[in-house]
Amino acid sequence: MSNLISRSLVATIALVFTSPLFAGDDPVHERHELMEGVGDAAKPIGQILKGERDFDAAVVMTSLRTFDEASAQFGELFPPGSEGGEAAPAIWEDRAGFEEALAAWADAVDAAIAANPQTLEETKPVAGDVFKTCKGCHDNYRIEDE
Amino acid sequence: MIAAAWWLTSPQTVGTGDLPDHTPDPEAGERFFWAGGCASCHASPVDGKRAKGDDKLLLGGGLELETDYGIFRVPNISPHPDDGIGDWSVVEFVNAMQRGVSPDGRHYYPSFPYTSYARMPVVDVIDLKAFLDTLPPVEGRIAPHDLGLPWSLRRGVGAWKRRYLDTAPLTLPASPTLVDRGRLLVEGAGHCGECHTPRDRFGGLQREHWLAGAPNPEGKGRVPNITPGGKNISQWSAADIAYYLESGFTPEFDTAGGSMVAVQENMAKLSDQDRDAIAAYLKALPARD
Repeated sequence: MSNLISRSLVATIALVFTSPLFAGDDPVHERHELMEGVGDAAKPIGQILKGERDFDAAVVMTSLRTFDEASAQFGELFPPGSEGGEAAPAIWEDRAGFEEALAAWADAVDAAIAANPQTLEETKPVAGDVFKTCKGCHDNYRIEDE
Repeated sequence: MIAAAWWLTSPQTVGTGDLPDHTPDPEAGERFFWAGGCASCHASPVDGKRAKGDDKLLLGGGLELETDYGIFRVPNISPHPDDGIGDWSVVEFVNAMQRGVSPDGRHYYPSFPYTSYARMPVVDVIDLKAFLDTLPPVEGRIAPHDLGLPWSLRRGVGAWKRRYLDTAPLTLPASPTLVDRGRLLVEGAGHCGECHTPRDRFGGLQREHWLAGAPNPEGKGRVPNITPGGKNISQWSAADIAYYLESGFTPEFDTAGGSMVAVQENMAKLSDQDRDAIAAYLKALPARD
């Protein structure tokens, strides 16, 4: 009997430590929130590129820093067993490809921050490179959520 | 009765004498290649994935469309003389694109969206052929479709066409405006309605719901309503629509998803004026919920 209890205790502990819950309270929710923040940060840069908003170097840099922080955390929010939401199964089937796409995003953000753009003309190419990596990752690793 | 059915289902074609006097312009034709999304179906898949970059110009076919009717296999339309369409005449190409009839006089299934291409000006179709003729020939014939009864009876498509194939403008009247430039692209080459408009039980478009959104033919979810009504893009400005088609980013800076990824990449190849025209047309549509 005690053997049975200790076995189920071990099984329970193992389950807790390997479950997606251990990686955070709710990775599906967390990554969604993080990406919403990224979208909110992308919007002002996009409006500047589209000519709907006056250029402001500080606004651009604030958004780039948001990308920088998000790209450092994002990869950890897809632990095994946390499939769901808008995450494509390809994230777990092709982890290396996903990590590569994330790294491309982080690298483009680093390059944009290093360039420290002070004019619209300086912002266009570096921001364009960052936006390309959004699309590059979404095309393969994001699915439509219904 | 049989004679009537035979007449009803007979292929309707145009003759060489019906064609306008026009010098084919391959450069002008490239615009319709991208607007028409030819590569999205006809470019041979690479390692089982959608072709990218210059591979989109290799139109060897081979993509399989799994539908409720069976499997449609996309044919080779590269200019290869035996395996593709390299030895087709102009009038044969026009009949394929705008009447859904093959050079040997058989009906094509409307998985090939000739019901939309029928609305293109004929000179644009002639220019498109001139552009396709400049692409590399690709070897290899694709196996025929694999459809269940009664869909495998190809002749029946003739009756379907009598109801669903015509060349008249669908919504707004023809006029020399930016909206009209958009109308030609959206209702014609762009064949937007094929996915964004719901179908009736015979698979024909429900024109009273033109571009008002439809069930996703490739799985769950819905294809968005792109009229000024509904909740999908009614808040978007014309500039937002044009920017989305150019960059793939929505006003919220989300990216295009699903089948629209490939469509947007094609639209990105058009001119700013064409994208503005598409946006102007969509904004001019009657709002439908």
